[in-house]
Amino acid sequence: MSGALPEDHVTVRTQKVPPADAVVEIDSFGLWYGSFKALDNVSLTVPRHQVTALIGASGCGKSTLLRSINRMNDLVEGVRTEGRVRYEGEELYGAGVDPVEVRRRVGMVFQKPNPFPKSIYDNVAFGPRLAGRRGGLDGVVERALRDAALWDEVKGKLDGSAFGLSGGQQQRLCIARALATEPQVLLMDEPTSALDPIATDRIERLIGELTGRYTVLIVTHNMQQAGRVSDRTAFMHLGRLVEEGPTDQMFTAPKHELTERYVSGRFG
Amino acid sequence: MTAPGARRLRGRLFHLAVLVPTLLGLAVLLALIFDVLTDTVSWQVVEPRGSGVSFSFWEGISLAGSWERVARLELAARGESAVAIDELLSDPEERRKFAARNRVELMWSVDGRPLRWVVSTTRDRLVADFSLARGLRERSTHRASLESGEHLYLNPWLDASFFTRRASRSPAMAGLAPALVGSLWLIVLVILIAVPLGVAAAVYLEEYSQESRLTRLLEVNLRNLAGVPSIVYGLLGLSVFVRFMRLGPVILSAALTLSLLVVPVVIIASREAIRAVPSTLRQAAYGLGATRSQVTFGVVLPAARSGIVTGVILAVARALGETAPLLLLGAAVFVPGLPKGPLSEYTVLPLQIYSWVGENKPEFAHAASAGIVVMLAVLVLFYGVAFRLRRVFGRQA
Repeated sequence: MSGALPEDHVTVRTQKVPPADAVVEIDSFGLWYGSFKALDNVSLTVPRHQVTALIGASGCGKSTLLRSINRMNDLVEGVRTEGRVRYEGEELYGAGVDPVEVRRRVGMVFQKPNPFPKSIYDNVAFGPRLAGRRGGLDGVVERALRDAALWDEVKGKLDGSAFGLSGGQQQRLCIARALATEPQVLLMDEPTSALDPIATDRIERLIGELTGRYTVLIVTHNMQQAGRVSDRTAFMHLGRLVEEGPTDQMFTAPKHELTERYVSGRFG
Repeated sequence: MTAPGARRLRGRLFHLAVLVPTLLGLAVLLALIFDVLTDTVSWQVVEPRGSGVSFSFWEGISLAGSWERVARLELAARGESAVAIDELLSDPEERRKFAARNRVELMWSVDGRPLRWVVSTTRDRLVADFSLARGLRERSTHRASLESGEHLYLNPWLDASFFTRRASRSPAMAGLAPALVGSLWLIVLVILIAVPLGVAAAVYLEEYSQESRLTRLLEVNLRNLAGVPSIVYGLLGLSVFVRFMRLGPVILSAALTLSLLVVPVVIIASREAIRAVPSTLRQAAYGLGATRSQVTFGVVLPAARSGIVTGVILAVARALGETAPLLLLGAAVFVPGLPKGPLSEYTVLPLQIYSWVGENKPEFAHAASAGIVVMLAVLVLFYGVAFRLRRVFGRQA
């Protein structure tokens, strides 16, 4: 691939996020899969109630970075990390931190809609039930489905199978399922890559509606999507963070040459 | 380049090459079923020791039950008074004795007249017994050559009372009840033992174990164990359960042995089913903060259950049909009563059939055929249930 970063590259930052706004602070974070270094010295601050997009070519580590925030990478054998990730000021990789607890507080939505083979209701109630909630689930389920803009379409068939929904509806169900645990942060790993343009549009509008109450971190391959939905964008290349800043500036006036070439579509 | 004509011809040849064996197999199967079915019916020339009278179909039908009605008619025909008949049939002990020596049967044909009730006794003298086809060909000859006191019956061996009659030295009185109850006990115990064991092992191997030499060794040996001849399991069961644990030749030792036999099958089927659960489902559950056990029992097992159930049913069907290991384990061939529990002596369907085939009275072959039909029906039922469950669970998923 064109253009390697110099060893001593320092991430270019435009309009740094004020520390008071930070929800997630990634600090000099590195990650190895066995002997392969997938993330190298990444530092990124995710601001509250905004949408941050992670962009970059395939294999650049953006999904790995996303999965580091809810410690999903721990499920892969042979993973090692260095550096720190703080969530609401708490260390996520400190000694004695339970990854299961971390995942209960951070929501995640995946590439392909992956509802459980259960009813719509049971899908949404899955997270709260894990946390030991038994009563008052009806309210939680309704609120999550309303937040995911799915309530009106499914309120009459909550007991129906989740597999009876269309692909776009299934993805919104997965968003509702993640929201039901009332996370501060919602991680989205290319949430529309398996959907048609209409369903994609619906999800993108939904992301806009969510920013009032949630902080969203979204990985996307689609630069138009990053431009449409995000407030800030971070561009990654071969495991390193090249540049980050407000989305409009990243797209109109990128500072680093690699960013410029990527957003103008000359590689990636 | 091959000419299109030559290519089409070759295609047709391949079509035939796969179609012919299929049709051949189907034909053999149909011939087998036809043979077994016709063997359950036979012509018999009998010199009855009872009244020798037969009763028409409608005469024998009664609200109180056909058995009761025909027994009364028969006793009256033997010259008993109405009072004596009432006395005999109202005393449970006398009634049981009568039922043990007399069989009320609806013959398909008696001396050329269709569907008549006959009461056969253990002391009836069988003059001849021949196949359905031969009887149809030579019926008039046989009817003409009947001596006085002899009758020509078309005897359906597979009648309703076949399921409730017990073991007997007389072919006409022998029934399938002990084998049915024995097989039922065996299946229930095998399910209770093998399913938890097999599913737990499959879950461990798929979801918990680390890749290591031990798990690789286990994996290879599972496949081998599933292929070990069943008689070897019989030997193992004989020395471990029957002798060493001193359980003796009872249902429980058979159930333990057959469980060993089918556990590898259950494990392999369950592992396949668990492996077929998409990893995206596991990811989703982990992403919501599920622990490994919550992922396994809340998501993976429910999603895998149709495959697991199918595997279990196939394994149980195999246990149902096993004969060889039970012979070694000392299953009884002649069980006078019904097995009462896991520690009773027992016989099972395939063993009962096997023992009937080996009896010296040739009419037992008809009982064996009837038994085979019952067993095939049970197996078809099993596969049908497996198919349905797959559909039902599949729809939920």
